[in-house]
Amino acid sequence: MTEHKKTGFLKRFFFSLDHKDIGFQYLLTAMFMAAFGGFFVYVFRYNLAFGPDDIPLYGNLAAKEYNQLVTNHGAIMIFWVGMPMVLAVLGNFLIPIMIGTDDMAFPLLNKISYWTFLLSCIVLLSGFLMPTGAFGGGWTMYPPLSVSDFGYNNPNTTFKANFFTGNTFFLMAVALEFISMLMGGINFIVTTLNKRAKGLSLMKLPIVVWMINIASLLFMFSVGPLIAGTFMLLMDILVGTGFFDAYRGGDPILWQHLFWFFGHPEVYVLLLPSLGVVGEIFSTFSRKPFFGYKMVIFLVLIAGILSLVVWAHHQFVSGIDPGAANIFSLLTIIISIPFAGMVLAYLGTLWRGDIKFTVPMMFALGMLASFTFFGGFTGLHLGSNVFDIYAHDTYFVIAHFHYTLFPSVILGGFAAIYYWYPKFSGRKLNKTLGKIHFWGTFIFFNSIFIPLFWLGLQGQHRRIFDYSNWDKLLMQPNHIMARQIATVSLIFLIITQFIFLFNFFKSLYKGKVAEKNPWKSNTLEWQASSPPGHGNFALYPAVYRWPYDYNHPDRDTDFLPQNEK
Amino acid sequence: MNFFPESNSSIALEIDNLFWIITGVVGIATVITLFLFVYPMITRKKKRTKIERYMVDFTHKHRIWLYTGMFLLLMGDLYILVKEHSIWQRVEQELPEPDFKIAIVGKQWMWEIIYPGPDGKLYTDDDVSAINNLHLPVNRVIHMDLKALDVIHSVFLPQSRFKQDVLPGRTITRWIKLNKEGKFDITCAEICGLGHSMMRGNLFVESEEEWKDSMDKIYGIKK
Repeated sequence: MTEHKKTGFLKRFFFSLDHKDIGFQYLLTAMFMAAFGGFFVYVFRYNLAFGPDDIPLYGNLAAKEYNQLVTNHGAIMIFWVGMPMVLAVLGNFLIPIMIGTDDMAFPLLNKISYWTFLLSCIVLLSGFLMPTGAFGGGWTMYPPLSVSDFGYNNPNTTFKANFFTGNTFFLMAVALEFISMLMGGINFIVTTLNKRAKGLSLMKLPIVVWMINIASLLFMFSVGPLIAGTFMLLMDILVGTGFFDAYRGGDPILWQHLFWFFGHPEVYVLLLPSLGVVGEIFSTFSRKPFFGYKMVIFLVLIAGILSLVVWAHHQFVSGIDPGAANIFSLLTIIISIPFAGMVLAYLGTLWRGDIKFTVPMMFALGMLASFTFFGGFTGLHLGSNVFDIYAHDTYFVIAHFHYTLFPSVILGGFAAIYYWYPKFSGRKLNKTLGKIHFWGTFIFFNSIFIPLFWLGLQGQHRRIFDYSNWDKLLMQPNHIMARQIATVSLIFLIITQFIFLFNFFKSLYKGKVAEKNPWKSNTLEWQASSPPGHGNFALYPAVYRWPYDYNHPDRDTDFLPQNEK
Repeated sequence: MNFFPESNSSIALEIDNLFWIITGVVGIATVITLFLFVYPMITRKKKRTKIERYMVDFTHKHRIWLYTGMFLLLMGDLYILVKEHSIWQRVEQELPEPDFKIAIVGKQWMWEIIYPGPDGKLYTDDDVSAINNLHLPVNRVIHMDLKALDVIHSVFLPQSRFKQDVLPGRTITRWIKLNKEGKFDITCAEICGLGHSMMRGNLFVESEEEWKDSMDKIYGIKK
């Protein structure tokens, strides 16, 4: 392995091809975008609870701005926070070092992937500078509303008038983001298949590497139709084709099929890497082997394949054939079976464990609990086509998908940051601040969304600027109070995150120096120095065993690294 | 605390019941999972030998619990599917003979209600249209032709547990039977632009005589 010179800050953060630096760049960019997404949600939730006037830090909110903020909050949190956080950050940082190699298979492609991602962020945010303002038609971009605010009857159909709109910029940003993640995904899969350390067979891979690769595969299988759809929609806007215009032989439902064909696997793309992180952490801090390793992998593959054929459960009442809805309802409800197996296997890892409540373990437990008990189980309610007639597009749906995505991206993401921080920075985070951060995040997250389940059952529908039109249905004292509880909890949730930011950046420079293997874990990354240099290992490690030999009966220590005979 | 708003249609109670059936299945699953979650945390301090902790091989006898858990949930799933299927067929796949037929057109940002006029037939010259106020008789099967003019809207009658997206260029026919008189809401559940939150209508469910009076009024104003 060649020696690498120490590089300066600028050179390191702009031109480095090192997978760890690129992972860090993704992390910082995701945090930057999360600040926008978080600010947007603060503004529109404040409006829902206390009215649109004099919002602190914002001013007065108009209905048009409300739609723009709602739309961009959704898109940013999924595509510009979720995707980079669980796929790009974890994949880049973990895959090469966990499989015992020096870098990605294609380091330059990796760098291009990051720069494309950064470009997509800039394109998205510059939508706000357009004369007509940012796109405000919902993050799902249903045409004809996404073609123009007035469907296809818009009189302004010149190229220039349509190009400089939020709609165009929004679609271009989404397309760029997909291209970036495709390049990243190709890299992950090729690296995993080709650059594993000697002796590291596929069935000895850490579970998180499996999960990231399956997520990348799912993303690649599902994203094609949506890239085609995005292109068709852009053509509709810019050139005036009518792919989605019913009056000219197109069909608005076609977009929904293309979008949700991608949209459902996308949820698993966000969920699986995070489940992988939780698996690593459960095994390490229960001091027990990962229970049902092969079974979990096969169940994930089954769930992944099933996830490609359940998309129309987003469209039960959108005008598809009601007969087809029966099949999609069946498949959607059946997908709970592989997930039940996975969750039970995870709980099998905890069973009889020597559980240690470290900060990453608390986040991992919080992730699995909130995902299972609220996110997963309400999936059965919404998978039922009959109940979905009522619940579709109400806050019940909102609460449900936040209970799946927030644990996946935010709680799972924090678990990963707290767990691998000593490795990538060489320093430790403050434990007390970490625990305060966990309890704040977990409690306030739940107190935001539990009231929203109830509001959804009450019939509160989505994306409404002002509920005062429905005084009997939605403006009773109970409803107002539930909305205010959710909003106040959200404000506290955001404040709690500043504790994390303080801890994160202070510990980068002033934290306690971390040893090589602070958690006494088995996987290969803990055998490199903290932080690992460019090239990761002084000598390529050879692997003799799977990563979960905790409390091996033949050994005195309670852990046994993969590279020990 | 009530979970659902008041209901006014024949189907509403069935949908509410289905919610409780699913919640029951989920509740049992929650209790079992919660036990598996909490028990290891409570007993984590217990001294155990390495052989007890090293639950590794896939031949370990505990794997039977995975299959049992998955099988139990499968039974719950099938129960839900059986219960929901007949309701779905009646609500969405069958059209009982109508006593009365109207059309609702969603447009930015109002509901246009088209009544058949004095001849009782829709899409003839004497059709009368009204904005946002829908008068319907109680205990009658009503057919609704649902359409949109510009972008996608969604007809959502919360108290009737009724929802259907309406699309430009397409007519979707659905039926409804209301069983309670009073004033209820019509909302739009699909984002449709700037005025989405102003898109509000009223549903008046009236007894046969009251309804005839209001229909006469609607037709009379036009004449």
